[in-house]
This record gives sequence, C-alpha cells and structure tokens, in this order.
Amino acid sequence: MSATTLVLTRVRVRTHLGLVVRVALILAALALVALPLVFGGDVWAQRVSRAAIYAVIGLSINTLTGHAGQISLGHQAFVGIGAFSSAFMASRLGAPFGFGLAGAALAGTVTALIVGMVALRVKGLYLALVTLAFGLTAETTIFNWREFTGGGAGAFAPRSALVESDLAYALLCLAVLVVVLYTDWRLVSTKAGRALTAVRNDERIASTLGVDVTGYKLGAFCFSGLVAGLAGGLFAHWNQVVQALDFEFQVALLWVLMAVVGGLRSRLGIVIASSFFALLPLVLPNFLAGLPWQPPFLNEAVYHVLPPFLVVLMLLVVLRFFPGGIGQLLAPVTRFVKGAKR
Amino acid sequence: MGAFVALGLFQGAVYGLLAVGIVMVYKAKRAFNFAQGEFGGIAAFCAYLLIVALGLPYWVGAVGGLAAAVAMGLLVERAIVRPLESSSRTILLVALVGVALFAIAVTVLLAEPVPRVLPPLVEGGGVDILGAGIQPQQLILLAVLAVLAGALAWFFRTDLGLAVLASSQDTLAARVVGISPEAVSRLVWGMAALVGGVAGLLYAPVGIFTPGFMTATMLVPAFAAAVLGGMTSVPGAFIGGISIGIVQNAGIYLLGQQWQVPGASQLSVFALLMLVLLIRPQGLLGKEA
Amino acid sequence: MLRADGLSLRFGGLQVLDDLSLTVGEGRIVGLIGPNGAGKTSCFNCLTGIYQPQAGRVSFDGRDVSRLPTHRRAAAGMARTWQNLGVIDSLTVTENVMLAQHQRTGYSAVAGLLGLGGTWLRERELRRDAAEIIDYFGLGEVAGVRASELPYGVRKTCDMAMALASDPKMLLLDEPASGLSPEEAHDLAGTLRELRDRLRLTILMIEHHVPLVAEVCDYVYVLNFGRLLTEGRPAEIQRHPEVIAAYLGGAAATAEGGEDGTA
Repeated sequence: MSATTLVLTRVRVRTHLGLVVRVALILAALALVALPLVFGGDVWAQRVSRAAIYAVIGLSINTLTGHAGQISLGHQAFVGIGAFSSAFMASRLGAPFGFGLAGAALAGTVTALIVGMVALRVKGLYLALVTLAFGLTAETTIFNWREFTGGGAGAFAPRSALVESDLAYALLCLAVLVVVLYTDWRLVSTKAGRALTAVRNDERIASTLGVDVTGYKLGAFCFSGLVAGLAGGLFAHWNQVVQALDFEFQVALLWVLMAVVGGLRSRLGIVIASSFFALLPLVLPNFLAGLPWQPPFLNEAVYHVLPPFLVVLMLLVVLRFFPGGIGQLLAPVTRFVKGAKR
Repeated sequence: MGAFVALGLFQGAVYGLLAVGIVMVYKAKRAFNFAQGEFGGIAAFCAYLLIVALGLPYWVGAVGGLAAAVAMGLLVERAIVRPLESSSRTILLVALVGVALFAIAVTVLLAEPVPRVLPPLVEGGGVDILGAGIQPQQLILLAVLAVLAGALAWFFRTDLGLAVLASSQDTLAARVVGISPEAVSRLVWGMAALVGGVAGLLYAPVGIFTPGFMTATMLVPAFAAAVLGGMTSVPGAFIGGISIGIVQNAGIYLLGQQWQVPGASQLSVFALLMLVLLIRPQGLLGKEA
Repeated sequence: MLRADGLSLRFGGLQVLDDLSLTVGEGRIVGLIGPNGAGKTSCFNCLTGIYQPQAGRVSFDGRDVSRLPTHRRAAAGMARTWQNLGVIDSLTVTENVMLAQHQRTGYSAVAGLLGLGGTWLRERELRRDAAEIIDYFGLGEVAGVRASELPYGVRKTCDMAMALASDPKMLLLDEPASGLSPEEAHDLAGTLRELRDRLRLTILMIEHHVPLVAEVCDYVYVLNFGRLLTEGRPAEIQRHPEVIAAYLGGAAATAEGGEDGTA
C-alpha cells in the first residue's frame, strides 16, 4: 500500500519536474528570439523580420512539398508576385498597408491556383520542370513588366505608420509566422492533414477513402500560394523596395533545399533552417571580417555564393545521413517537450 | 523573320546537344538531370583557364575542359547518384539541383562573376544565312550535334547501348547477363557529362559567358527540347532542340520586338513546354504515354 | 444495392472487361472469382470509379453513379480494401482509421485549418470512434504504431478496419483471405457474416480461397478473360465443368502476368 503511494508520488514528482523543464525549454527558445529584438536595436530587428519571413516561405513550401508531395521549383514566383502586388497597391494605388498584404496573399493564391491546375495533369519530375520554367518566365516577364513592377528600378513599398519602426515590423512578421505555424499545426492534426498524407502516398487509395484528390491538391497549392504571397508582401515592405533581381530562379531552388535541410513536415526544423539561411548573408560578412586570418579570395561575390555553397553541403549531409533533416535531429527534444506520448 | 529562324536553328543546336545528355540520363536512370547545364559550364571555365589565363594551345584547353566535365560527371555519379539510388526520384532531383547550384557557387568562388570571352574554335567572319550573321562556331555546333545524335542513336542499338537500357529496366536482369550496373551508371554519367561539356565548349564562344550561364539560360529550353522529343529519344532530342530554338526566336521576334513583351524568349519556351505536356505528353518520338 | 450493366474496358488493344454485368442484392455476400488476369480487380476499379469503362453503367444504392468520381462514390457508401493493402505506411493505425473517417468528419478542411472551436471537439469524438473500431478488430495494442512497422496480417486487418471506419453501406474486398492461415480465414468468414448481420452490410469480394467462398458467399460470379463465365450458388459453381477447366487451364495461360497484380 505505502509502496504504491510512494511510486505514485514519485511519478507525480517526476512529471512535475518534467513539466518545469519543458516550460523552461520553451521559454528559453522564446527568449532566444526575444533577446536580439530587445537588445539588438534596429539592425537585429531587421534581421529577425527577415528570418521570420524566410520561415513563412519555408512553411509555404512545406505545405506543398511536405504535406501534398508536390514539388515546386518556382516558388519565388509566388513570393515575388505577392511582393510586387503589395508594393503596387501601396505605392501606386495608395491603398492602406493591410489591403496591400491582403492583395499580396490573394495574388499568390491565384498564381498558385493556376500552377496547381497544371499540376493536375503534369506530375512528378515533369511538374518540377514546369514550375522551374514558370519561375523563370515570371522572373523575366511579369517582374519586368514596367507598369506593374517599375521595371529595373523596382517598386517602392512604404510601410504604414503603425509598423514604421523596425521593431514594430519585426513583431508583425513574427505574428504572421505564429499564425502560419498555428495553421500548419491544425492542418496536420485535422482531416486535411490526413487527407493530404493519403494523397501524397497513393491517390487511388485516397480517393476510395472519400478524399477529393483534385480538390485537396488545388487546396494545397492555394494555401501554399497564399502563405507565399503574404511572405512576399512582408518582404516588400521589409526592404521597402522590390526588384526583379530579388526573385531570381536560384532563390527558389535555394528555398526548396532549405526546406529539405530543415526537414519536410517538421515545423521547428524548417523555422531553424529558414532563419539560418535568412541570416547567413547578413551575418557572414561581419563574421568573416572579424576573423584574425583573412581567407585569400574574399570579396562581395563570395558573400553572395557562400550561402548556396553551404546549403548544398548541408543538403548532401542531410540526404546521406539523416533524411528527416534538422527536424529529425531535434526529434528527441521535441518529443520530450510535447510530453512522452507520441 | 528569316534571320530569327536561322538564329533559332543554331541556338537550337545547343539545346539539342544538352537535351541529348538529359535524354541519356533519363533513359538509363529515370532521373531528371538538372545539373546537365553545369557540365558545360565547368568545361567552358576550365577551357578558359587553360587557353586564356595560362596561354596554352586551344586543343589543350578543349581537352582539359572536356576532361573536367567528365570528371565532374563521374564525381556526381559516385558522390550523389549512387548513394541516393534507393531514395525517391524527387529527392534525387533535389540533390541534382543542389549539384547545379554547387557548381555555380564553386565557379563564382574560384573565378569572379565577371563576363568572359572564350575565343572560338575557328576564327573568321560570319556567314549570312537568311539575313542573320552566323559565326563559323555555330556551323560547327550544328554539325557536331548532328554527328553526335547519329552516333548516340547508333550506340543505343549496340550491345553496350542495349545493356544500358536493360539496366534501367531491371538491374538484376542486367547483372545476370553479366553487366555491372555500377559500370553502366558510370558510363552513362560520363557520356552525359561529355556531351554537356561539348555543348558548353562550343556555345561559350558564341557570346560572353558568366558563372551559371548554362543553367540560367540553357537548362529549361534543353529540358523542353528533351520533353518535346519524347524524353527517351535521342533523335527526338535533336529535333526538339532545333524546334525549341526556332520557336524561341520566333517568339522573340513576334512578342518581343513587335509587341514589346518582356522576357519573350522564356515565355515562348514555357508556352511550348506547356503545350507539349498538356496536349501530347509523350512528345514527338516518345514511346510511353 | 449494386448493379453493373454491360461494363466494357479496354487498355489499348487489350480487352480487359467485356460486357460484364452483375448484381449484388442488399445484405448479400457475393463472391467474384476467376483465374489470374481475368479482370477481377479491374472490375473493382470500374465499380469504384478508378477506371472509367468505355461502355456500361454502374448504379449503387438506387442511383446511377457511372459518372461520379471515386471519392463521391465513397461518400455514397462504397468502401473497398486492396489486394496489396490500402493502408498508408507513414501513418499510425489510429491515424489510418481516422483518415478513413474522412467523409464523416462533419467539418470543412478550412475550419480544421483555422482550428475553429467545433473541430477540436469533433476530432476528439472521431478519435474515440476510431479507438472503438480498432478495439473491435483487436488492434488496440498497435494503435500508435506506424503501419510500415507492422506485419502483413496486422496491416490487412487495419485495411479492413479502415473500410469499416468510413461507415459504408457496402464493402468491396479484394482478396481478404490472401496471406491468411486456414484458421484465420475461417475466423474471417465469421467476421464477414457478423458484419453483414449486425451492420447490415452488403459485401462483394474477390477471393481465391475456395473454402471461404463456399462458406460465406450467397452467390458467386465467375470471370474469365474479362467475360462472365457463369454465375450461381457456390455449390453449383464448384461442380461446373467450365469453371474447373478455366482454373486449371487458365492458370498456365495467364501465368506470364495479368493486370490483377497492379491494383
């Protein structure tokens, strides 16, 4: 009798301790984000914004490639169209900031819907090719259409007074990230997530279980496009100027690799990998300049190509040794934080 | 208009050349080789290094460039393709995209991203064809493409060529007949890289070139050419390349010059690719639906 | 309950189904047998809408479903199992069963995405229902295990549980007894009858296992080369000379691969 009570209390004590550790871990992670915001000034506020925007883009790719199993090598087109739409609405039409972002999301959705309709007919590797070609075409055609994007000079995307400061803007970006993370979580926990898993694995099985394969595929494209467009809108006002150069096709390839490195279907992994690649080009030059020994062939161009260089190295390591990406590496931690149950 | 058709013909020869490499890898491995363009990129850079920077004879540069391309092909096969043999084809595709980005990054790291000029194989003035000034280099390109396509079409009828095809269908069967799938894989990647290298070497002198030039401008039209040709047909890739080149230049003329549409060249290639995939996905000479 | 009239299906030059008609009455257990490559699985694929036959109509539960896409037919109450299993490997048993509940979740995908209030409640109810079904099939111990880690027999049971979880009016079972021992096959017969009697399900099944067919089926259709060879009660069929000939002769003739293995 007393032995049982003892065991029970010990179990309870252990769960209490576990809970404390878990909460501490989550708080520490949040603090890690908050720290640069509070003490880093405008420079770090800008960086946090950029990291959050990249994370949103990564999650957008995750919806499409991770959940629905549809590869997109032209994602920069969705993001770019969102960015230019938002800039267009803000600077040419003088629409309020919120409308610009909504317009960006809408433009991304519509673009993705069109590509999604193609994806109903064109599958697998061919879809990868089509999206790559689409991205290239969007880059050279739509983004160079002077009336819409301002041509080579780019379009201005002023912020509204409310998020004028870099700190406020960073908070806005983080808020969007939180909302997107929440929807991704609900997606996988409800019917849509299960249906998409079935569609990804076997469309015929999915359809005999009552899943509208066409609808879910288009839905995944739309949602991914919506999130990508929104990220584009945020990106436009982050930089306050949008240029076609920002959305070269290499960027899309980099993003896909970034999502794979983070680990498809792993929210935490994708956020970490995305933030890393968002910050790398900003932090790397300072870091290298601060080194006591300067590598010989350092120049502006190197800063430009080091991130792709690194992401590819990481990709190869990931594909060979842990195909689940950073998410797989972190799995023990996340399982602990969520509690022991799987 | 005639000039654009002539330009397209010669431009298309390069697409055809790259497409032949893409088709080879697809035939043997069922993989989309997104790194195909960079075989040419590496070849061009190595040739430039040897010829212009080091002042060596042209043939040394050409051989060196091709050797570098083949070495890269074998390296890709060993380091990327083989370890990912059991992964999904999408993962392999992502990895090959990674290879292309990696190659571009390496060329930028080692050589600054400035435009370069590689001297052509044959100096001399252009020839006037349908009102377009065509360089001798481009004539050579077309000839090389024709010869290569013929040779490869023949190759796939030889015993070795059939073995390559057999290994793509059934590795076990190939092994039973006494062909090592590893050897076939090396052969295919080596040949694809060689073809890509030839494309890069011959195309670079036509204009100026920068790191990633093959991937940025040639890869998608080359894939479109391969798809148009049916993805598994070497002669199809040849015809596809020429067709894409002509359509693209017609597009530049009609859309770009007449209507001032930006990006007319990419747009016309994209439109043609979509048309093929939606209306006749098996391409012109493809066997499978 | 289910009626097919004059189904004809061609792949290129290959006539897979030729003017095939069959009827499955409500509450009946009907068998569909025939040698390999006879077109049994293709017939299932036409009935469920995965293939669109060149000719013929399918009506289900009193209405014409010939033009309906697969998922709409599923929503009308058709559930099927697969010869090489319809479980999704990357999901756990519970998740698989909840996936099968797709059409009766009672909330829209967007509502789930936004995490609206009702969806949380429904998810909990669905999970409870799934647990009930899982327990009924004795899968409770492996409920949290990924399907890919389970042995074949358990996955097969899971497939069956999924077919039931969709709350169907009719089950189409593709070789439910393949890979089972004689004892397990006998148990399966009991389960099938219980499902029919307690849930008033109609069952159409493809089966090679003759004892099982003889034991549970009310009626049997025999297919050969895409055509109906004969039909009748199991006892009559077993004595039918053409059936015996088709099985013995057909086994050798179609050994080099029929389309049945692809489904």
